This record gives sequence, C-alpha cells and structure tokens, in this order.
Amino acid sequence: MKLIELKQATKTFEDGRKTIEALKPTDFAVEAGEFVSIIGPSGSGKSTLLTIIGGLQTPSSGQVLINNDKFSELEEKDRAKKRFEEIGFILQASNLIPFLTVKDQLKLVNKIWNSTFDLSQAKNLLGELKIDDLIDKYPSDLSGGEKQRAAIARALYHDPSVILADEPTASLDTDRAFEVVDILSRETKKKNKATIMVTHDERLTEYCDSVYVMKDGILSKKS
Amino acid sequence: MFLAWREIRYSKTRFALIIGVVVLISYLVFFLTGLAYGLAQENRTSIDKWEADGIFLAEESNTNINMSMFPKDLLEEVNADETASLGVVSSVIEPNRETDEDAKVNATFFGISAEEFIMPDIIDGDAFGEDRQVVADRSLRDEDGYEVGDELSLSGMDLTLELVGFTEDSKFNVAPVLYTNHSTYQEIRASGFGQREDEIISAIVVRQENGDIEAVEQTTDELALYDIDEFINNLPGYNAQVLTFGLMIGFLVLIAAMIIGIFIYVLTLQKSSMLGVMKAQGISSAYIGRSVVGQTFILAAFGVLTGLILTLGTGLILPNAVPYMNNFIFLITITGLLISVAVTGAFFSVKTVVNIDPLEAID
Ligand SMILES: Nc1ncnc2c1ncn2[C@@H]1O[C@H](COP(=O)(O)OP(=O)(O)OP(=O)(O)O)[C@@H](O)[C@H]1O
Ligand SMILES: [Mg+2]
Repeated sequence: MKLIELKQATKTFEDGRKTIEALKPTDFAVEAGEFVSIIGPSGSGKSTLLTIIGGLQTPSSGQVLINNDKFSELEEKDRAKKRFEEIGFILQASNLIPFLTVKDQLKLVNKIWNSTFDLSQAKNLLGELKIDDLIDKYPSDLSGGEKQRAAIARALYHDPSVILADEPTASLDTDRAFEVVDILSRETKKKNKATIMVTHDERLTEYCDSVYVMKDGILSKKS
Repeated sequence: MFLAWREIRYSKTRFALIIGVVVLISYLVFFLTGLAYGLAQENRTSIDKWEADGIFLAEESNTNINMSMFPKDLLEEVNADETASLGVVSSVIEPNRETDEDAKVNATFFGISAEEFIMPDIIDGDAFGEDRQVVADRSLRDEDGYEVGDELSLSGMDLTLELVGFTEDSKFNVAPVLYTNHSTYQEIRASGFGQREDEIISAIVVRQENGDIEAVEQTTDELALYDIDEFINNLPGYNAQVLTFGLMIGFLVLIAAMIIGIFIYVLTLQKSSMLGVMKAQGISSAYIGRSVVGQTFILAAFGVLTGLILTLGTGLILPNAVPYMNNFIFLITITGLLISVAVTGAFFSVKTVVNIDPLEAID
C-alpha cells in the first residue's frame, strides 16, 4: 500500500527576477513498511521535498497524497490536523519542547487529543528506544543521542503512518548515528510505516530499502 | 493550560519576576484606589449619614453651602415627607486642657435640632442637651486625643463649648463635624457677623418617599432644591479630586495591562522557533494560542490577587490618620478589570503565534 505518493509535484520559488525550480516535476511513492533515504548535495531540494510531503508548504503544481488522501489540496487548518494525526517529524535540531520532561512531551499528545495518558504504553515505547530511565528528564539534561531518541519517541508516540526525518543524525557521532537509523529502520518494519530520511552520510543508507539521489531538483533512484 | 503550567514551572525565576512586577503594579492601583475612596468619603460621610434625598439651599448660593444663609422660618415654606434644618459653619477648635501635641483642629459645626432626622447616633458619651454642648466625630478622639468632658475653645472667639459625646462617620470637607443645637450654632456663626435677630440656617435637608424629590413642594423662591448627589458632586474640590484619582487609576490599569501584554509578547517572540516546531508537528495555532492566553491569565490572576492581599494587609496596619478605606465593589471591579485587560493584551501574542511559519522549523 502506498502511504506517500507524489504526482508530478513541483516547487518553484520566485526570488527577485529569477525563478528557482527547487523541485522539478516528480513522481515518487513510498509503501507501508518501506524505509527510504534521500541523499544529495546541499541546496539540491531535499528539504523542499520533505516539507511538501509533510504539508508545511504546498506544491506549485501536482499533488501529494498521504494514505490516498489529497493532502496537498486541504485547507491549511485541516492539513495541520492531518499532519498531527498522520505524520511524525524528526528534525535535525531535535523537535523537543525545552520545558517539558520526556514524559510530558508524550503526554502533550494526549492533552491535545483529550485522551488519557497511558504511562505503561509510554514506558514501552521509551524502553524500545532504551531511554525509559530518562522519562522525568528535561531535554537540556539529555545527551545529543538521547535527545534524538526522545524526538523519535515523540514522533512515533501518536502512531503516525508516515515518518519524515530531515538529517536526524546531523548532531551525532557515527556510533550514535547508526543506532538512531537502526531504530528508525526497526520501527518502520515493526509498525508498517512509510519512512523517509534525508541524510548527508551515505554510510547510513545501508539500513534503507531504497536510496534516492536529489540533484538540482531532480529525484532519481540510486541503483 | 498544560503547556502554560509546565512552562511556568520550568522557568520559575522568569515568571516569578513577571508576577512580581504585576504584584507591584496592582498593589499600587489597589492602594491608590483605597486612598482615593477614603479621601472622597471624608468629604461626604456626614452627608451620606443623613440618608437624605434632597437639600434646599439659598437660591443665590450656587450649591455652595458655605454661602447659603436664610431665616429658619422658611422651614414652613417647604413641604416634604421629612425635613431637617441645618446650620453649617467652619471654625478652629482646641481643648482647654494641657495636651501633648498641637491639638488645634479645623472643624465644621452642624447646628441641628435633636428631634430631626439628621441627629447622629451617639457611640460614646451623651447627646448634646444644654446650650454649648457638642457631639464630635470620633476621629477627634482617635486621631487628635480629644475626650468626653473636654472644654473646647474656638479660635478668635470668646466661647467655651463642652464636648459631651462622639459619633462616627461624620466628616465634611475632610474635616471632622461637631454637632450642636441651633442656639449654640447661632452664637458661633454670629461672632463673625454680629448678632442678628432672626435665627439663620444654611440648609434644609429633606427626605421624600422613593427619593422622588420632584414631589417636594415649596412656596418660596428664595430656596432652591438640589438632589443630594448633585449637592455632593458640587462640594468644593470633591469632583476634581474624584476625577483626578479616577484618571490616575484608569491609566494605571491600562499601563499594567500593557506591561503584562509586552512581557508575554516578548516571551512569545523568544519562543517563536520552538512554536514553529510545534506547528510543524501539527499542533494547531488555536491550541498554542489558548495556552498563551491561559498563561497570561495565570500570571495576571496570581499577581493581581497577591497585590490585593498586600493592599488589604496594608490597610489593616495603616495609622488612622491616613484616609484609606476599602470598598469591596471597587476592589473586585479593579481585580476583574486588571485581569481581563491583561488577557486582552495577550491576544496580540496570539496573532504572532498564528503568523509563525512552521517552515522555519526546518533547517
Ligand atoms: N522559501 C524559499 N525561497 C526561495 N528559495 C528557496 C526557499 N526555500 C528553498 N529555496 C531554495 O530551494 C533550493 C533547495 O533548497 P533545500 O532547502 O530544499 O535544499 P537542501 O537539499 O535541503 O539543502 P541542505 O542539504 O543544505 O539542507 C535552494 O536553492 C534554496 O535556496
Ligand atoms: Mg535541508
């Protein structure tokens, strides 16, 4: 099943007199349980692609479908709602809220959904990421790798069907980076999610089912 | 509220400082209100005590009771449910015995008839009976050390009065009132003008059923009837005082709200990249906005209530001479006003939240 699908999606920016084609017409799909990575030089359009998939911006033309829904054609507000339900973002600088403990980062999701917080469920998830003993710590008390794992926990907690990670390992040393990618890969398989990871580090792509290369706005599959 | 509380708990010092500023400002506002109200009351408590509906003054007096003089006979020319004759004169009094301090006090004499309705209740000593006996406001006892039985002399007058009792809530034009009978009043008043044949009074105070002073009849054009509130508003200096304080308090409320609003705004700007991350995750502007408003409410409510408690506490330990007085309606109104105006200020920050672009969270 295709969880992510792009149909002839493009993105152009008007920059003064110049028009930048950050994303040339692209067809692209990610299946459930598939772990895809995108590599490519700086400024080639990787983040642009990811933010279009995540609905942070809309394509200039073409469509984005998430779970067979015309995501890119929704109203801003509905897109935010769907993003909250369907998509887990993991960013380079971790997306943790500084004044919440690891536990409260997760609890926030329950607060927004008006559901009850299940401590054992949270502990299970944190246990899988081996940070269950850090449950009452604030982000500032965590190491870079622990923060990134907490961010992954946050992204997985509300059980989204799609995970988008923009250079999730940029702030980590090689061992930690491999650990984080390993976790992402295992969670993708176990929970049947569609995961895209943008990275600069080609060595990390060995965990991925397929690798794409972005160059000057053109996405092509690496064989 | 979840986010609002957690953030306050995490950045305790920062929020404690903001609450501290709110406390100080609201303390100032409340305290000033108490003083303004107390001072306003000192102009009028003796009048409020009458529970009257209207007052007749001499036609040409222009609502100034000090300039109003007419023969007591005119009492027969007016017809209301209840009437009371009143003579007003200011003087300076001093007890005849040795006192520690300078006990000279500016006072106002009210010449009244003991059987009419403006006769005050006595809380200490006795009512005046014979000529040259007076009953005074308790502030003379509490603040100036006068006692029942004191002999009082009047500045520039060869006249000795006997203080026989005290009443309460009797201030006129910020000075204590001394009540006496009409003949003593004539003596005090006449000493400045020379003896006159007629008994002269300053005003006729009236009560009318349902406060309907339109129904009061008069058969003389030498007197003009005023509504009691109009009379109070025209007391010399009263209106200017109330307006001045009112404006000051109003501006302070606005300034307090702006300060809270600016604090919250700066905090929101500081957090904008974090809020961008939250929005990128799909947390709605409405949820974040509610938490900003909720946080402002918490800060304002904490600060204002602490300020209120401080004010009430200060009111208890203030010396009697300070004209501070609590009016719970004012205190509650100002509490509500401060909090709601602060929360309104927070809506500017909500606008910022709405405008934050979640794209900024990437890179
Ligand atoms: N809002 C924008 N306005 C104008 N140009 C933009 C905008 N966003 C991106 N671009 C341009 O689009 C191109 C692709 O940018 P993008 O951020 O996708 O690159 P990237 O592959 O993520 O690079 P990096 O590896 O450095 O993160 C760049 O040339 C960039 O300057
Ligand atoms: Mg990028």
